[in-house]
Amino acid sequence: MKRAALLIVNCLLFAGAAHAETVATPIPIGIALAQTSNVALLGEEEVVGAKIAEKYFNAQGGVNGTQVKLVFQDTGGDEAGAINAFSNLINRDKVVGIVGPTLSQQAFSADPVANRLKVPVIGPSNTAKGIPQIGEYVGRVSAPVAIVAPYAVKEALAENPRIKTVAVLYAQNDAFNTSESKTFQETVVQRGLKIATVQKFMTTDTDFTTQVTAVLAANVDLAIISGLSADGGNLVKQLRQLGYKGAIIGGNGLNTANIFPVCGKYCEGILIAQAYSPGGDPKNAINNALIKEYRATYKKDPPQFTAQTFAAVQVMVEALKKVEAVTKSKIGKLDLGKAREELNKAIRTGSYLTPLGKINLNQGGEIHQETFYVARIKMDANGKTGKYIYVK
Amino acid sequence: MGHFLDNNGFLLVTLVQQALLAMSLYFPLAAGQLSLASPGFYALGGYIAAIVGTLDYFAPWRASLGWLVFPLEWLLAAAASALLALLVGIPALRLRGIYLALATIAFVEILRVLSLNLEITGGAIGIFGVPQLFESRWGYIAVFGPLLVCTLVFGHRLERSRVGRAFRAIREDELAADAMGINTTRYKVLAFVIGAVLAGVVGAMSAPFLNTWNARQGTFDASIAYLAYVLIGGSRSIWGPLFGGMLLAALPEVLRPLKDSRLIINGLVLVFASIYLPQGISGTLARFSPGKRKGALPAGEPQEDA
Repeated sequence: MKRAALLIVNCLLFAGAAHAETVATPIPIGIALAQTSNVALLGEEEVVGAKIAEKYFNAQGGVNGTQVKLVFQDTGGDEAGAINAFSNLINRDKVVGIVGPTLSQQAFSADPVANRLKVPVIGPSNTAKGIPQIGEYVGRVSAPVAIVAPYAVKEALAENPRIKTVAVLYAQNDAFNTSESKTFQETVVQRGLKIATVQKFMTTDTDFTTQVTAVLAANVDLAIISGLSADGGNLVKQLRQLGYKGAIIGGNGLNTANIFPVCGKYCEGILIAQAYSPGGDPKNAINNALIKEYRATYKKDPPQFTAQTFAAVQVMVEALKKVEAVTKSKIGKLDLGKAREELNKAIRTGSYLTPLGKINLNQGGEIHQETFYVARIKMDANGKTGKYIYVK
Repeated sequence: MGHFLDNNGFLLVTLVQQALLAMSLYFPLAAGQLSLASPGFYALGGYIAAIVGTLDYFAPWRASLGWLVFPLEWLLAAAASALLALLVGIPALRLRGIYLALATIAFVEILRVLSLNLEITGGAIGIFGVPQLFESRWGYIAVFGPLLVCTLVFGHRLERSRVGRAFRAIREDELAADAMGINTTRYKVLAFVIGAVLAGVVGAMSAPFLNTWNARQGTFDASIAYLAYVLIGGSRSIWGPLFGGMLLAALPEVLRPLKDSRLIINGLVLVFASIYLPQGISGTLARFSPGKRKGALPAGEPQEDA
């Protein structure tokens, strides 16, 4: 019974793989991000980055004169949705490569599907350990948390060397924040500081009385929070309201202007480790172009996810140019399978000057980013809007 | 044909998988017990498969058993689910209606928080790189398909058996059933265990199918989704959850070309279905074909279990 079923399945598979086709023009690049569900808060920031990148690079002439076309498929917030979006992009939309998905957990589910079909994937916001190791067709432009987090601790200590005891708080139901917090804790111990308390919460929580009380009881000099905008912002607010006076470091999840309305004036002074800073390098032309375009619509600076997705699309476009140079053929003339294979090789060669600064992807698909940033939140007098002031 | 399957294979298998999960809710409901514990057992089964599939400790098993390790995972998941369902079911099934529902929600939450905090379940990131039974997603129909057929046959036979009649008697009036000499506790626990075993096995099959397993698989949201499957499909026959699960799982994907408005349409379908099909799809179908459903209760019976 089972063998017969297997046989049928195999026949069907070979029937599907038998015919070849060329890449469509304009060149389709797949974007599989969370446009619905509760993950859409992050996904929408990424969608904006992709759209700005499409407009920007097509205005620059696309891939040596051929325009690119981004094909969007919503992944929703779950694993099955990510696989569905990937399948649609690969088989129906015939994309050369995919930028996505939003969450690391979704990447663990959907990336193997693309990898088996030999379609290059670039993760714009997958920071968990093990993502590039999924396969040779999987890469990312989001620096793993282990690299970004320690910078903020270093900065906090530089500003106040008397810091001795630390409270660590993190959202235990979020993969990114859990692994980021682990890195924070290791960094704190390495620096000879004492972890007085470790508190866990959920990204869906709104009341943090328990955690705040524990932090206050431990009488710490520094609180390190790994959470997302809504929960992290509320936690900061309640810490301050209940009388916490020490320094606060926010993880990468707080690196978004979305937290300003949540913690309001209490956001003031939070130190944040960033993989992207709008003000990081004023001479970075492509970053300035991104900021200008983003400000024109949204009247604020682009968040990190927007910049990272922009960078992911940029890597795709520039790698496609390299493919044309290597194969001495227009992408539109190449067989789709061959184009995907060549694109994957090209993604991993050379470096890219992106809004994140200079980056490159090694053979394993892991990003190497030259600069990281630490910023301090400065709230405006109205207590509703604010800025990230770049400190390092 | 092969092309169509490349495109939609994953979705088709997902439909079968979701229908099976809906059925896991149907069995307790057939005995009048509104249990939302299915996602908990689903998560448990998935973790068992993922752990046996990836942990170094089980490497000798994988090496010596080959692909037979997969059926072993299903058996382990079934056994573990049955055991846990007995432990949870015996005290929990003293509760009725909404209280039982609340207790089972709490059970799902406890399992979720446990899996977030245990080392072996990989915390929030979960377990990834789960070994594959088939190269293509479509291949998984070879495991989910037979399970669906078996469950349908089982459910169909059950309706006409002594046990099935006992379930129905309890559903309609527990006190009367008790007075007639039916051991209500025993049958309620049995219905709960059947549902749990089914959910556990589906979970164990799903871990390779989804490539990864994490705490996001067994959540309160999933409980509500499965309940919606059964309510929209109809809770009075085994076909109800089959229709409901397939329809509701397919809808967002079939509506994919509508982009942003697809969830609005999806929601509208749910609202209209619950207003105009109070007996669910299968209940409405049964009403239009009288005589076909012997032994079933007349349509229009108030559904206190809903």
